[in-house]
Amino acid sequence: MKRAAAEILREYGPFPGVKTVAGVTFDGEKVWFASGDKLNALDPGSGATLRSIDVAAHAGTAFDGRHLYQIAEERIQKIDPQTGEVIATIPAPGNGGDSGLTWAEGSLWVGEYRARKIHQIDPETGKVIRTIETKRVVTGVTWVDGELWHGTWEGDESDLRRIDPATGEVLQTLDMPPGMGVSGLESDGAGCFFCGGGNSGKVRAVRRPGYAPTVANK
Amino acid sequence: MDSLINAAGRALAAGDPLGALKRVALRQDAAALALRGIAMAQLGDFAKAKTLLKSAARAFSPREAVARARCVVAEAEIALVSRDLGWPEKALRAARATLDAHGDRVNAAYAGSIEARRLILIGRLDEAERLLAGFDPAPLPPVARVAHELAAAGIAVRRLRTKAARSAFGRASLAAYEANIPALRAEVEAASLVLNTPVGRKIAQASETLLPLDEVETLLASGALVIDACRNVVREADTVVSLATRPVLFALARTLAEAWPADASRETLLRRAFRARHADESHRARLRVEMGRLRAELGAFAEINATAAGFALTPLGASEVVVLAPPVEEEHGAVLAFLADGESWSSSALAIALGASARTVQRAMEELSAEKKVQAIGRGRARRWMMPPVTGFPTVLLLPGPLPSD
Repeated sequence: MKRAAAEILREYGPFPGVKTVAGVTFDGEKVWFASGDKLNALDPGSGATLRSIDVAAHAGTAFDGRHLYQIAEERIQKIDPQTGEVIATIPAPGNGGDSGLTWAEGSLWVGEYRARKIHQIDPETGKVIRTIETKRVVTGVTWVDGELWHGTWEGDESDLRRIDPATGEVLQTLDMPPGMGVSGLESDGAGCFFCGGGNSGKVRAVRRPGYAPTVANK
Repeated sequence: MDSLINAAGRALAAGDPLGALKRVALRQDAAALALRGIAMAQLGDFAKAKTLLKSAARAFSPREAVARARCVVAEAEIALVSRDLGWPEKALRAARATLDAHGDRVNAAYAGSIEARRLILIGRLDEAERLLAGFDPAPLPPVARVAHELAAAGIAVRRLRTKAARSAFGRASLAAYEANIPALRAEVEAASLVLNTPVGRKIAQASETLLPLDEVETLLASGALVIDACRNVVREADTVVSLATRPVLFALARTLAEAWPADASRETLLRRAFRARHADESHRARLRVEMGRLRAELGAFAEINATAAGFALTPLGASEVVVLAPPVEEEHGAVLAFLADGESWSSSALAIALGASARTVQRAMEELSAEKKVQAIGRGRARRWMMPPVTGFPTVLLLPGPLPSD
């Protein structure tokens, strides 16, 4: 297993009116982050927040190319980013114990925090297709180039880890600096991870190993 | 944290404990137990809240020291608000150290303010004062600042520092306004009344005046010789002689002071000090002995001279002799006078001080306690009595919102 310290490329926030960041996703241009009662769009280049959608947003956030998905209480809402409207709702697999959320290969992937599991579910019905067992609590999930990464955070210890999707075995970890935790995780599809920072109210960009230390800004 | 925990935490922070419970009612994990505990506390079920917070503290993993410590602080506040004062100080102090070490300054400060409030409640004013002195409430959220400022005001009132009390109440009032919790604003308003209501009666040369706190302070600083029946002491500026454990001497001193500048007759002195209806020779002898003792006690302030009819007090330096009495004197006034020092007393100590039997004191305490004029701390042999603090501090719970660590 490869182990290294996470390299923070940039910190965004805290943002006015945002007490906590509960989920993060990336739509190719903007970082969207959940802050309890809002989804906020952030330009990772300028660091400016561009707009927000009023919607219950208590945990993970995902984007499928057209729609945003947002966990609230024990359900997953499908949201039209143009209008901010909730167009569908499915039950969350962890029944409210859900934390991270990402979209990949036609499925939604949902981290179940305390159960230390990642569920692959059908975005139409919420039906569980398969479940991956992990070693630590799951606080964020993302796929990039066929790699499955998840965040974990317990007390003072937090890291990003790449796991084998078949076995759950940990292949690589990036340890967050002490006092910084991950709540919500998404890759930009290239050399950087965006992480929610829980009650710090911040979003952080972390360098993906093997890539140039810059924040993508397409 | 997971979705429902965040949702429940938000509900709590928004003052909706039922909404929080609805979301985590059936869950047994640490974070859920903690949120359920706080919700139950806000709903007034302190016993259940305590149990839940205890189990939450146990359920958090050792890695989550901060979350554990926050549970302890919440538990301490519940103990304080429910006036369960036998609560272990050590646990709270350890929690405060943990929070400090992990950089959770707000909760560490909050823990400190709970500690100070508890010390005031159990009548350990010096310690409370020391704790508050080295303490900056600025980083606290407004609700916690209210608690801190009320504690500071409470001490200032006890110490008769009206100006300090007034400004602490002012800061408390601003913070309560900022917190925007009606119950808390009402609590601050009620506590501030102490500045504008009479707290003492000045008896001098046969006339009586009711005094608010600031005038009491002025009077005590004026250099007059004050026979203070609120605390059973005699004072002139900064010199204080306590007669708290000598009720006969104090009664004599007060009788002489009320007669000043004239003398007090033997009959009056005997009646007031020994409840004697007629003066026989043994009474007179005893009066002479007690006067001798009082002379020794008050030697720094005044002379006591025999006159044809009785005795007269002549101050050495002071230009005036004044009695300061409680606004209302009642049957158990003597007991209340002892308790007015803000310290906690055991029944046996009170019995010694009053020269009364343990049974008499016990009866008095039961009556006063039923009238809510005194409160008991502890049980059995460790039981102590004290007056409810002049200004208490919030009886509303100020628990911080979502507990779980992140």
